[in-house]
Amino acid sequence: MALWMETGSEPNTQSEIADLDAITALKESAALEFKEKGNQYVKLGKKHYADAIACYTRAINQKALSDSENSVIYANRAHVNLLLGNYRRALMDAQEAIKLCPTNVKAFYRAAKASLSLDLLGEAKSYCENGLERDPNNEELKKLARQIDAQNLEREHHEAQVSKAVATAKHLVSAIENRGLKIGKAVFQELTGLRKPILDTNNILHWPVLLLYAEVMSSDFIEDFCETDIFSAHLDMMFSESCPPLPWDKENNYTREAVELYYEAGSGVCLPKAKFLSYLLEGTVGSHVESIGDEEKDVIECSHDVTSAGKGSSKWVKVNEKRTLNDVLKEPNLMIPGIPVFYVVSKRSSFYKEFRDGKWSLPS
Amino acid sequence: MLCSRVLCEEESRVMPTELEELVGFLSAPSPQVKKAAVDIVQGLTGSEDGLQSLCSFSDVVIPSLSRVLSEKKEVSEPAAEALINLSQKPEQAAKMVSMGMIKTAMDILYKQGSGITRLLVMLLVNLTQSDDGIASLLQTGDEKIQGLYLMKLVRSFCTSSTETTDDPFEHVGSILVNISKKDSGRKMLLDPKRGMLKQIVRQFDSTNPLRKKGVSGTIRNCCFEAETQLENLLLISEFLWPALLLPVAGSKVYNEHDTSKMPLELGSALSIEREPVGDPEIRVQALESLYLISLQEAGRRALWSVNGPRILQVGYEDEEDPKVMEAFEQVGSLLVHGSGTEEFSTESSK
Repeated sequence: MALWMETGSEPNTQSEIADLDAITALKESAALEFKEKGNQYVKLGKKHYADAIACYTRAINQKALSDSENSVIYANRAHVNLLLGNYRRALMDAQEAIKLCPTNVKAFYRAAKASLSLDLLGEAKSYCENGLERDPNNEELKKLARQIDAQNLEREHHEAQVSKAVATAKHLVSAIENRGLKIGKAVFQELTGLRKPILDTNNILHWPVLLLYAEVMSSDFIEDFCETDIFSAHLDMMFSESCPPLPWDKENNYTREAVELYYEAGSGVCLPKAKFLSYLLEGTVGSHVESIGDEEKDVIECSHDVTSAGKGSSKWVKVNEKRTLNDVLKEPNLMIPGIPVFYVVSKRSSFYKEFRDGKWSLPS
Repeated sequence: MLCSRVLCEEESRVMPTELEELVGFLSAPSPQVKKAAVDIVQGLTGSEDGLQSLCSFSDVVIPSLSRVLSEKKEVSEPAAEALINLSQKPEQAAKMVSMGMIKTAMDILYKQGSGITRLLVMLLVNLTQSDDGIASLLQTGDEKIQGLYLMKLVRSFCTSSTETTDDPFEHVGSILVNISKKDSGRKMLLDPKRGMLKQIVRQFDSTNPLRKKGVSGTIRNCCFEAETQLENLLLISEFLWPALLLPVAGSKVYNEHDTSKMPLELGSALSIEREPVGDPEIRVQALESLYLISLQEAGRRALWSVNGPRILQVGYEDEEDPKVMEAFEQVGSLLVHGSGTEEFSTESSK
């Protein structure tokens, strides 16, 4: 018997036709057998899933079964792939199953499940809907549809929160720009943590302000220093009679009258807008957002970068405590390092002279 | 605010046909004829009758006078005066605006040696009484040049006050009061990028009562934006508070306990003897401004932070004018409860 035929030539003789029929029948039963074997492997558990897949594959490769029978096998393979976590392959198998037999509800279910696992919420929803069209009472499909809706809702909610965080940050950036303030890289983040300035309902800025006691490098915080407040009001509160003296201030030098505030003049380069936005979004829902907004690579409209007086010799400028925070922050030689930082010294301390003579600088 | 120049009534009686001829002479080629005509027209505008008769010819009179504005002072001056008088009538002012008088006035104003600066400013005051006039001055129609005229006028207002003898731009204050009646005008003045309000507020120190009044009225109008643009008001507080609080601080010398809680510009001014601000209207306007600011929480807070309520308390004690007292009471009612807000925050020590 000639088993291989030259392409283009048709079986002529009766016996050739009979041969072909026999082969087809053999293939058919082989395929069915492989399918059965696969089903059994699945029942045997996890360890045999790979074998199940192999069987299904061989069944398919016989190319001997009808479309609807093959559809079942593809759907079965999809099922095992789902169990193995091969979502992409499961999806492809389910899609093939649907193609071969558009009434295969199980295939729709598995396609939906695979899509959901791949975070393709739109496709998942549509597979569910198609499946439910064929079988409106299918509980499993209904349950899946509810799951998808819940995930969609959560995603939308999350996106809304991110948009809101980004919008708030952008609003803040433009408020700071409008005031002509200069923002540089944040320092002392171990002290400041994630504190950020905020805008209140009247569009007035409230800053968290760091106070550093230069003499001992200890720190204090003013959580909410409204830009229209004057310094002396806050100092009155912090150094009032009723407040306990600073624990390290053994000689009680740091009293209300003796305390003076300074800022460091001329220190660095303005942050580019995008970096400042990212800084503001740190610790919020929007912290992962990249490439925020417009491609403005320019800095936050700094009219000029503030340059340092010279390495190791910073210039300390005294703050007139009868001024508002905003008036001081607007000073041309003041760069805000993320959040405002002021240095506290006492006129009565022996450290004062050293500081004023410029002999002290920040420990690096 | 309106401006007017009333002159002699000698030539107030002219017959209608003669009037038509006269009006024609405004465009006469002969300079002497023209001058005579302009002078007569100016005289006519000085009386109610004359004004009425001219109004029926205003479609010719206005353009003719307008052309004369760009000529030498001996004719441009009476022409400007005539236009000022005519513009007191709203229909005439409207006609002038629609004929582009504002542009004409601004062009000539900033031309060298026009000699009629003061008069042109006064004309603009009258023309900005109407919404159309304001829109025309603000140039709201054209995005590219919007606010240009305004900035020029503000600049002139703020840099010319050192000329003590002749203060040609002193009436600009009144223009500002007019345009700040409109939302569009206020927005432009408050725009931090243009920085106009800051410059204007500083003029409050001027001894010229017209300037002072103009600034006071403008600030008051701008405070109507406190709800949405409070930051643009508060961020010039260094200049704003003195302009609003010093007039209503009474004339006593404040003690150290009070001034120690104030910023320098207030504290030092109140530590010495000073002349009270005479005009009660200015005091009322200042208090109204403070009221509008105090309607906002951040406004109240900022006022408290400069010890504002203490100033109002002391000033009220000295006050005798009933209208002003009422205005004091109105602001006072907003500040009565609590020290401004929820305390300055608590500080956390390490």
